[in-house]
Amino acid sequence: MAFRRFAALLVVFTWSISAFAQSGATTARPDISGYWELRFDSFNVPRASLTTAAQGALEMRRSKDQDAIRGCVNVGMPAVMDDRGVLDIRQSPSVVGMVARAPSSTRYIYTDGRKHPDAEELEGTTNGHSIGRWQGEVLVVDTVGFNERGITAIPGGGYRTSRSHLTESYRLAASADQLTVTFTWTDATVFRTPHSYTLRYYKVRSIPEPRVLNCIQNDADRARFLTDRPVPARF
Amino acid sequence: MTIRAIAAGVVASLLFAVPLAHAQEKKAAAPAADMSGLWIVQDPGSGSWAEWFDNVPKPTLQPDIIADNQRIVASETAGNVVNRMPRTAACPVGNLPMMMASSPPLNIVASRDEVLIGSESGRGRFIYTDGRSHPDVKDPSYVPSGFGHSIGHWEGDTLVIDTIGFPPRVCDSRRPVMLVPGGGRAKDTTHLVERFRLAGPDELSVTFTWEDSTVFLAPHTYSYTYKRLAEGIPIENNEEPGAQPQQQYTTEKAQK
Repeated sequence: MAFRRFAALLVVFTWSISAFAQSGATTARPDISGYWELRFDSFNVPRASLTTAAQGALEMRRSKDQDAIRGCVNVGMPAVMDDRGVLDIRQSPSVVGMVARAPSSTRYIYTDGRKHPDAEELEGTTNGHSIGRWQGEVLVVDTVGFNERGITAIPGGGYRTSRSHLTESYRLAASADQLTVTFTWTDATVFRTPHSYTLRYYKVRSIPEPRVLNCIQNDADRARFLTDRPVPARF
Repeated sequence: MTIRAIAAGVVASLLFAVPLAHAQEKKAAAPAADMSGLWIVQDPGSGSWAEWFDNVPKPTLQPDIIADNQRIVASETAGNVVNRMPRTAACPVGNLPMMMASSPPLNIVASRDEVLIGSESGRGRFIYTDGRSHPDVKDPSYVPSGFGHSIGHWEGDTLVIDTIGFPPRVCDSRRPVMLVPGGGRAKDTTHLVERFRLAGPDELSVTFTWEDSTVFLAPHTYSYTYKRLAEGIPIENNEEPGAQPQQQYTTEKAQK
């Protein structure tokens, strides 16, 4: 009898402490750090409604993107988020860093409360300048300051320009093994209406080494392979 | 009897349940200090890359390394200052000692399981703090980079990083092995320990200790101080298609 009481108490107390520990974890800010990959069912991408000017510029933009692939230019946004390679996301209290598999700069999202720099101080980059804030358990990211280098194609149609404005919301699933990101692009020169789509990333436990991709633009074999003008991923 | 059973249950629960609840945290301790941010190395103002790079306590070197250093100096004095080795896909990427000494600021993101250290917005080092070990860097499947393979752990407020797995050679016709400040080398037999510590909210101290019995007669230690660039905007390297290889461009720029 005493043993049964002891066992019951042990179970109840263990559960209580475990629940307490878990409640502490869930009230804290989610940690989206980890290795993430897109899978075949990761894409919820409707077609974008493009301006007439954008429709007319698509072929030229596609050609520029192909040149960027040939030239090993940093691919930039949004390609760093959808290149099908494992995405390494690292979150600190003040900044989130993202490293894609494709040739690209590290993407930084500042969560320390700073604002975007003044436009005249901001030199455009392929990833733009990103600031983020937590709204409950959702990380809302605002990005401006793009340039037009790299792969500019946007899933669903359209392309990135120096006037583009991107808003993202990152939501970690309760199980912490899925990360859902909704992207919304606005750019009056490209989109008739804001263009939104959602990607779902799955957590993976490890990442292939080496982590540094050696893209050699003058590699003869690579140049031969790319003779027939490469086509960026389409959605 | 009942009270004794309750007491025993409570004690047993504390003994077993609390460690279980915190097992995940013990696996990878959270960073003791947030070193994330842009950090610029404090060059005393030599105005010369070579002088700055070697502005460290002099290591005691193996005789063949000393002779090789003399050969490099003679070659460069004779005008061989441009890297003429073609850059191929087999060339190792990165140069840890050069990146840590260079003026482009380090860009650090310190998460619990991994620390990113890049140069400006460029990708660079990955330091695993999740408790993993080094891979077998002598295995043929290991592909070395100039950043080596790094694992780290926290000792109080200090991040201690252990790095091995450097490439035996690099693609540089002037000096085919990575140089270490003071005249040493970083190669496949080299072991580096770094200690990162915040000396103040805006000051980062890094102490490097290099060990390699084929290079050094004794461990070679020196320190750098980095200052925080608050709200700095990292510059992106955008090499134009068709431009000369970045390594060569950088070298020539430094020589001018």
